Amino acid sequence: MSTLKPWGKLLFWLITVVVLFVIVGPLVWIYLTAFKSANDIFTTDVRKLVFFKPTMENFHRLFSDYPFWNNFLNTVIVSAISTILVLLVSVPAAYSFARWNTGQGHLLFTTISTRMFPAVVAAIPFFMMYRKAGLLDTHLGLILLYTYFNTSFATFLLYGFFKDIPEELEYAAMVDGYSRVDIFRKVVLPLARPGIVVTTVFCLIWSWNEFLYAFLFTRSTARTVTVLISSFWGSIEVQYGPMAAGAAIVILPTLFVAWFMQRYIIRGLTFGAVKG
Amino acid sequence: MSEKAIQSALGGIGRKPTVWEILTSERYFKWTLLIPLIIVLAVFMLYPLFYCLYYSFHQYGMQGNPIFVGADNYRQLLRDKSFLEALGRTAKVLVICVVSELLIGLGLGMLWSREFPGERVVRGLALLPLLVAPLILSLLWNFMFEYDFGAVNMLLSALGLNKVYWWAPERALYTICFITIWQWFPFSTFVLVAGLRSLPKDVFEAARVDGASNWYVFRRLTLPMLSPLIMIIVVLRTMWLIRLFDPLYGTTRGGVGTELLDWIVYRTAFVYFDIGYGSTMAIFSLLLTIALCAVMFKFLIRALGGNR
Repeated sequence: MSTLKPWGKLLFWLITVVVLFVIVGPLVWIYLTAFKSANDIFTTDVRKLVFFKPTMENFHRLFSDYPFWNNFLNTVIVSAISTILVLLVSVPAAYSFARWNTGQGHLLFTTISTRMFPAVVAAIPFFMMYRKAGLLDTHLGLILLYTYFNTSFATFLLYGFFKDIPEELEYAAMVDGYSRVDIFRKVVLPLARPGIVVTTVFCLIWSWNEFLYAFLFTRSTARTVTVLISSFWGSIEVQYGPMAAGAAIVILPTLFVAWFMQRYIIRGLTFGAVKG
Repeated sequence: MSEKAIQSALGGIGRKPTVWEILTSERYFKWTLLIPLIIVLAVFMLYPLFYCLYYSFHQYGMQGNPIFVGADNYRQLLRDKSFLEALGRTAKVLVICVVSELLIGLGLGMLWSREFPGERVVRGLALLPLLVAPLILSLLWNFMFEYDFGAVNMLLSALGLNKVYWWAPERALYTICFITIWQWFPFSTFVLVAGLRSLPKDVFEAARVDGASNWYVFRRLTLPMLSPLIMIIVVLRTMWLIRLFDPLYGTTRGGVGTELLDWIVYRTAFVYFDIGYGSTMAIFSLLLTIALCAVMFKFLIRALGGNR
């Protein structure tokens, strides 16, 4: 920064501010719209974009006319339980891959490749199977799909974190007479805790945001909140107000996480290949 | 496995070992840890793959029994005009999005790779769209691009410019590209920021001393050293872009000439309930993804070759 000339500095901040405006503007817009009355939403007066009389009308309608909290709770349940299942599968597997290279990389590659599969490939057979087994529109059905959906990613991200744990610590524990299980539980897991936390948060967010499976596999009982919000658009009358209010609530946790996890976002999205 | 093998695995305890002891023995523990994963892969990967393949050779509409039709579905696919168009459109979206994201990423990456005050705030804000649900963001942009009340057109007319029909047939696909690029350019930007910050400084100083121009340094030093990261961006983004779905659902619902690969599979299987033909399309798009990724992985490994 110090090497830039004054006009260079000016240009730097000009570009930075414009870029941030383009990124943050639309997100702010959701929150503005959420507090607008119908009249202020459907106006062509530019000043009303920012200056208007805030109202809670949209939130009231969202809570009274639609099963918002119910669907919100479904999202919470499905995300939380599937994330726990993913961890139960991925933590041991990633440790095995990182410590012994079990399967000489082939099994690890197969695991990653499930993430490359188009979601519809799994959707068709599972739809048929769920229809027969009565799992359509159930929490369990969606939880199982999300477990599949997140396992490959979680395994690979955790693999990177386990790889960073020095083997010498395990040898030291072995000398002290620890069994394999003790080493895993008392030495490796505590050291891998930051990695497990990051992975957990990513799995939660991905299940939270997932749309295609939720849309195909749930109708009413297990419908997630994203599917509810999507239903406000496309019917005869578009419900912009409740849509914005719902979106404002649903994205709030993700915004918090995005802010506090910024160090890890790139690492997570690149499967750990870029440490950021 | 023989009794003897188990005994030796346990270091010869001299009694019949329990299942737990076998599972946690030095020899088998690494496989025990993988049992849940192998179950998940078998149930959730092999099963659907097998069934998708099975249906793809059948005519099946959710009623009655599947009728075996051989490779008919595949033959139909190669002559299916709307499918081929969707394929072409997907390729177009892929190229437009990956190239623009890379160029914006390179530009902003160079800009933000130096240390500057307020870095944390800039990074925190710029990364926000990456974790917000794509569906919600596309609904948001759908509203922002509305002709009368959309914020974009209102700002345009406030600036004295003409309003634009953002969802007109000749423009809708590009509008969707814009939404996708908007959400994802911070990804390539910050991957490249990480890359630029890890470059060895002395090489650049040496080049400066030798009087190399900025452009020369960029083309001959910066770009080659960034190539592994550029490959990572290209591979991952291609993988995700092939199955673009949420932005279509949130905006045009496949109308006005925006039907892409995954959308047409969804429509065939879940709107027209043609499970057999839908499966054929799904298998085709899977093969396409694998082929594309295999080619790119080759380049990726070559690019990574030097420094791993």
